[in-house]
Amino acid sequence: MNVANRSSRAAVSPLASSSSAATTAVKGGLVEVDMYTDIPSFELSLDEFEEFALARLKVLRKIEELKTRNTPHEAFRTALASTLKQHLPNPKIDAASHYILRAAYCRTEDLRRWFLAQECKLFSFRLENCSNIREFMKANSIDLERVDKTEKERLRSKLTSVIGAPSPLEFPSTEYYKVPFMEALRLVSNRECYLEKGMAYIPLAKIISIVEAKYRVGLSKSLVFAGHNIDNATDEEHSRIGPLLKSMNSQYTGPTQLSSLDNGEALTAANVDANARSMPLCMSQLHSGLKRDHKLKHQGRLQYGLFLKGAGMTMEEHTAFFQREFTKIMTGEQFNKQYGYSIRHMHGKEGKRASYTPYNCMKIVLGSPPSGGEHHGCPYKHYDDENLTALLGKLKIGSEGRDAIMKLKREGNPNLACAKHFEVVHGGAGSVEGVSLEGVGNHPNAWFAASRKYYEAKEGGGGGKGSLGSGSKEIEVMAE
Amino acid sequence: MGAQVEEEHEFGVNDTAADAVASKTKPINSVTDFSPELLSIYYSRLFPFELLHSWLSYDPSTLTGNTTKQLAGASILSRREFSTTVQIHGDEIYKRYQSFSTQADIATAIRKQNPLKIDIGAVFNYAPKDHKSLPGGKLQPVQRELVFDVDLTDYDPIRNCGCSGAAICGKCWKFMVMAMEVMDAGLREDFGFKHLAWIYSGRRGVHCWVCDEGAREMGNDARSSVASYFEVSLASEKNKNAHLPHPLHPMLRRAHKILEPHFISSIIPEDGHGLLATQASWTKLLLTLPEAANPVSIELEKKWRSNKHHSSPAEKWEELKAALQSFIGKSGNSKAPKNVSNSDKLKIEHWPIETVFKYTYPRLDINVSKGMNHLLKSPFCVHPKTGRVCVPINMELVQEFDPLTVPTLRQLMNELDEYAGDSVGHEWQKTSLKGAFEHFQKKFLNPMLNDVRKSQRAEREKRAAVVGDF
Ligand SMILES: [Zn+2]
Repeated sequence: MNVANRSSRAAVSPLASSSSAATTAVKGGLVEVDMYTDIPSFELSLDEFEEFALARLKVLRKIEELKTRNTPHEAFRTALASTLKQHLPNPKIDAASHYILRAAYCRTEDLRRWFLAQECKLFSFRLENCSNIREFMKANSIDLERVDKTEKERLRSKLTSVIGAPSPLEFPSTEYYKVPFMEALRLVSNRECYLEKGMAYIPLAKIISIVEAKYRVGLSKSLVFAGHNIDNATDEEHSRIGPLLKSMNSQYTGPTQLSSLDNGEALTAANVDANARSMPLCMSQLHSGLKRDHKLKHQGRLQYGLFLKGAGMTMEEHTAFFQREFTKIMTGEQFNKQYGYSIRHMHGKEGKRASYTPYNCMKIVLGSPPSGGEHHGCPYKHYDDENLTALLGKLKIGSEGRDAIMKLKREGNPNLACAKHFEVVHGGAGSVEGVSLEGVGNHPNAWFAASRKYYEAKEGGGGGKGSLGSGSKEIEVMAE
Repeated sequence: MGAQVEEEHEFGVNDTAADAVASKTKPINSVTDFSPELLSIYYSRLFPFELLHSWLSYDPSTLTGNTTKQLAGASILSRREFSTTVQIHGDEIYKRYQSFSTQADIATAIRKQNPLKIDIGAVFNYAPKDHKSLPGGKLQPVQRELVFDVDLTDYDPIRNCGCSGAAICGKCWKFMVMAMEVMDAGLREDFGFKHLAWIYSGRRGVHCWVCDEGAREMGNDARSSVASYFEVSLASEKNKNAHLPHPLHPMLRRAHKILEPHFISSIIPEDGHGLLATQASWTKLLLTLPEAANPVSIELEKKWRSNKHHSSPAEKWEELKAALQSFIGKSGNSKAPKNVSNSDKLKIEHWPIETVFKYTYPRLDINVSKGMNHLLKSPFCVHPKTGRVCVPINMELVQEFDPLTVPTLRQLMNELDEYAGDSVGHEWQKTSLKGAFEHFQKKFLNPMLNDVRKSQRAEREKRAAVVGDF
């Protein structure tokens, strides 16, 4: 993958709907609170673009999960604080990811509603935590007139006759502000503020709800505006970022080491062929390419190798498997020299000792398309219609299933086409115990794990032993 | 389109089916006060089209009659929805989405249709009369007066004057006076609105039109908020546990200050609704006290029953309040009994206020206020059931307003016939409509249009400043 060298501006031009001064309160590196009225303008690599977006997606999904479970206030705050620390550790990631997801979630009413709901909860959480609300409001030009001492004294009995008013002891130290009543509709509705001549008198603590309302309205408007404009974007970057944004909401953010969830038998050089039937099309294409050519080019070795690793294949088995195939056209020594290092590297045993994670679908879809002799990429994205139809036909997928898959492919939904493929070849998988469809169509390893579970349940045994014959032949098909 | 009709309930919905049938088969029982022929004369000679036009144009130039210039105001009028209820072969037809560009257009259409009722809707983004040529959903309301509707039928559970349904008398009209005073004060003092028109609905209710620019531009959420601000859920037969929250909001405190004197003068005495006038009625009232205050009710009941004390209802009310205060240890050096909990004390303390509210607090038809797109009967219409004109009400003299002396069509015709004075600009000046219409013009229309003029000037100067074109 060389996308890391390509850089891409995070801000998609049609999203710019407002431009006021910087509005972020930062404390100790973490973002305290941000109204996001200022479009960030730093450069991001495509990898960062994706990484940041996924990080925020994890946070928003966590918020949704906590709220769905009716998590008590304090537990919610603790959990969210730690999630934020983990995934959105600095203002750059925070701002970039907000805008990327804003672009990804502006496309339909449902997406907008979901995004707005989670972002508003995040905003309220941060605002409540904010150490200097007055400073924050000043920076965001939220114009509030402070009620001076004389006026506050004059209105004492009225201000304290409102539900939720400070106690007589707290009153002297409570700051009051007045805002046009239109800015405080919720408080007006519930008679939770004193009104005089169209101005609502509000203690500082309650100003929070006003800022929240302002944020919600602003973000909602921006989302609708962006939703109307995103398709008109002519930005050349848009053609590359577009598909990424489109698939964002269906991104898999669950565990990537899916093997840890898989209690079936470990994937080894010996059983990998038998398990090929459980691989999504991209991986079964790589597998059959390897079996046929006895080699894989760089991109293919990475995509397939990391997939195998993700499926629980150890470095030793990985080496054994590739060696078995490669040594059909080269010596063991050549293999070790040319490929041993990179396999060990993939497993974090060489070089930086970084642990590389398997590619998710977005990464594969957005990666460079395969050229002659290459088998990597996403068939639902990179193959032309004719080739893919022929391939599906050879896989003995009935015409009905084939049409359904091809329809999604033609509509530019590779993820959905792949999920459809799964559905077609795993009849009734949704109701099979132990089979989780989460991530199918978003991560090859999720597809694989679900398929293995499916066969396990169907056949009452591990790995699909003995069913190798015909299945293996079916997938030995050229992609060109 | 017909299904979209949102009718203001004054006319139709609350009438019994029998009423509705009757209105089709024979004209109105008071044939002398209303007939289509009289209505037609009213529209051709008396209806103040100039006032309606001037108001709904929001155009100060209509004051001077110098309307040749095409101002923004003219386009506000042409985008305003009018709806009419017309009678064709005994059937009432409701015609929505009419709009007019000039005063002459309005007058011509109304005189031709001779409608039983005219409703005023929102100002839209396009002329509503073109709605059929617009793609669905394209026609959107963009502004609308904030309106309130109070109707005596909502007071039936507490009316104790013998009236019910459509009937009204001076005693129950007092409820409307109280509602107007509370709402007028709240809208002006709390929300800062200045341009309020109060209009008699022609039979048993009143409408308020808040016409300030800020009010007209409010969205549905803001309308709902303002309406909810005034909404109080009071204890009723169905919900005995509704209590006012503590502390009492300043708005409610003020309402109580306005309402208690009315309560004393109109609700409790014999010649009012008699709440404390007879042994049966005060016993019933004492039974609504919180249980913890039973010693007070027992003592007072005993005292009032004995003939020694011929105290007036007002004296009884004061006596009751004082007894409660002292019972919970809030007056003099009295101490509350130990077995009375704090929450009971609070209930007892609030009881007199809640009781006043139960019998006097405005009962708004809140849905009328919440939607921008809700139609409401136009001022100056004539109610077909009473023949009375929907006249503007002078809030300075609101206590003197008597709906039973509002002129009927028959009376107006007589006044026109009998007029022997000088020639006048408008024929309504020859009749008893003069006072109410002139009040509308001088106290509502002129000040409002002056404010519009001021804001237009400020707007022009702001624009000029931007382009450097002073
Ligand atoms: Zn009555």
